[in-house]
Amino acid sequence: MRILVIEDDKDLNRQLVTALGDGGYAVDHAFDGEEGYFLGETEPYDVVILDLGLPKMDGISILEQWRRAERTMPVIILTARDRWSEKVAGMDAGADDYIAKPFHMEELLARVRAQVRRAAGHAKSEIECGNVRLDTKSARVTSDGQQVKLTSHEYRLLAYLMHHQGRVVSRTELVEHLYEQDFDRDSNTIEVFIGRLRKKLPPELIETVRGLGYRMHDGSDAA
Amino acid sequence: MVLPIAGFIIYGLYRTDVQATFDGRLEKLVNAVAVDAMAGEGGLPSVPPNRYEPLFEEIHSGWYWQIQPLNEQDTGRRLVSQSLATGQLPSPKVDGVKISETGSRWLNFDGPLGVRIRIVEVIDRVGHKKDGIPYSIAVAGPVDWLESQLATFRTRLATALTLAGLGLVVVTLFQVRFGLLPLRKIEQGLSDIRTGAATNLEGDFPVEIEPLQHELNALIRSNQDIVDRARTQVGNLAHALKTPLAVVTNEARDAKGTLAKKVTEQATIMRDQVSHYLDRARMAARSGVIGGASNVADVVAPLVRALERIHQDRGIKIQVTCPDDVLFQGEKQDLEEMLGNLLDNACKWAESTVYLTVDRSGEASGQSRTPGRLHIQVEDDGPGLNKEQRKRIGKRGMRLDESKPGSGLGLSIVTDLVQTYRGSFLLDQSEHGGLLVRLVLPAI
Repeated sequence: MRILVIEDDKDLNRQLVTALGDGGYAVDHAFDGEEGYFLGETEPYDVVILDLGLPKMDGISILEQWRRAERTMPVIILTARDRWSEKVAGMDAGADDYIAKPFHMEELLARVRAQVRRAAGHAKSEIECGNVRLDTKSARVTSDGQQVKLTSHEYRLLAYLMHHQGRVVSRTELVEHLYEQDFDRDSNTIEVFIGRLRKKLPPELIETVRGLGYRMHDGSDAA
Repeated sequence: MVLPIAGFIIYGLYRTDVQATFDGRLEKLVNAVAVDAMAGEGGLPSVPPNRYEPLFEEIHSGWYWQIQPLNEQDTGRRLVSQSLATGQLPSPKVDGVKISETGSRWLNFDGPLGVRIRIVEVIDRVGHKKDGIPYSIAVAGPVDWLESQLATFRTRLATALTLAGLGLVVVTLFQVRFGLLPLRKIEQGLSDIRTGAATNLEGDFPVEIEPLQHELNALIRSNQDIVDRARTQVGNLAHALKTPLAVVTNEARDAKGTLAKKVTEQATIMRDQVSHYLDRARMAARSGVIGGASNVADVVAPLVRALERIHQDRGIKIQVTCPDDVLFQGEKQDLEEMLGNLLDNACKWAESTVYLTVDRSGEASGQSRTPGRLHIQVEDDGPGLNKEQRKRIGKRGMRLDESKPGSGLGLSIVTDLVQTYRGSFLLDQSEHGGLLVRLVLPAI
């Protein structure tokens, strides 16, 4: 899952990037409106955290322009402006959630998880696929009730596939959603991580669809 | 008030004038009689030819002349006009009347038949002798004539003045009605602004009133500007304070140790204080300003849209019962804050549905009809609160001076606002299972 943070306060930006990175997300960040708008316009993000009072270009304009260009990723507005009229204006501009500053990082992470789940069409914070369970809250994975230890990159890959289970996910999509913008994008690393996941989990869980990518399914509807 | 005084003065002037005319005539007559009678034929006065006044020949006409000697022995010849017949006029000189500037004496007297007459008398001797018998030559005219003249005039004057007065009253009423029409229009316009039906004073006014209209509009505008500026400043302050606070709080949460704990604790207090006092400042900036009216349905629709989106992942639905024409007497933003916080709370606790009921008569909330009040009821189908919990929250909200910032339910801002609008706030058990919040606010 890849997240974009647009926040002009340097410290808060760093804290958000750190906390989200620890939560198992690939995070890009921007300090001003123009840069943020450009990133959101060109890169595929699963969630955007958007401050409203930004230099160069304000948050509402960014959001409206994205929505006009049919960029539909979930956007969480993060702002000190907590009047309901401002919240309504933000939601009407196309935001999916609204967090008022100052906020608790736990709450923000919960809201981000909710947006990721919502975008993938899952209602609960725990996602199941066959015997494998993924708890997005605690970032823990169990297989047949046994806890599976995963590195952060392995977790990101599994989480993305599980959120989009039943659908073919291309390597490019995986690269785009799993790594930060300045990451060395060698799609071979994806294959390496898929191989490792197959060793740690029931191997038939992740199916390779030749020429297209990967598909995760619980085996029951595989036929 | 002015008209009777004017009437009095005019009457006075006329009376003096008529009197002078009457007296002048009598004086002319007495002089003519004296000249004709005292020509000196035979040392005795002669009957003057009547070429002055036909009424001298009509009996008891009120017009008389009389010539009589003024010596003790009464040796002279006494002559009277035919009209006087056997009557006699008194001599003002004998009665001790002082001589006037024109050399004559004046006396009012009850003449024959009781008719009041005015007598003028001159003293003369026959011929040019200085030693002849002095004669009193008197001419009298009826005072009634004078009075009747004056009475006629009085009637006419009174009629004229009454008509003039009525005319003035009509004109004044007309002036008040149409001349003050623009002022009534201004009054209506200001009332519209107060109730929120208009934002400035509109319409065509006469040239005299136009500057007033411009000034009032400028005043309203500057008032609005002050409120807007205060709000902007407060918003800026909020933005400026909240981001560093978020940074400090997050930084301290990640760190370990007592210092971090202390910082977290204090930063939380600071955060609550900041939002509490910013809310108060926002409210203070507004008090005393001419408020507007806000259509409740217009506020509800976007809020519901936004809230259903915010709570989309839990699939919360908000069922709204709100007439289109209910107006809240106050700022739109305040209504948004109250409704937003209440609905947001309800959404957080609801199982699946939140119920919002708005009405003006108070029937839906089961209370007696209170005209001019707006009833808002927010319910959810969540777990709700028990009596004790409700009591605690209700109390904290209701007593403003003891209200601590951050009740955890966002209710303190709601109760503060309700207080500002002199409304009421009540917590109860909803028939849908959860909490029921009932607000009563001023409506139009």
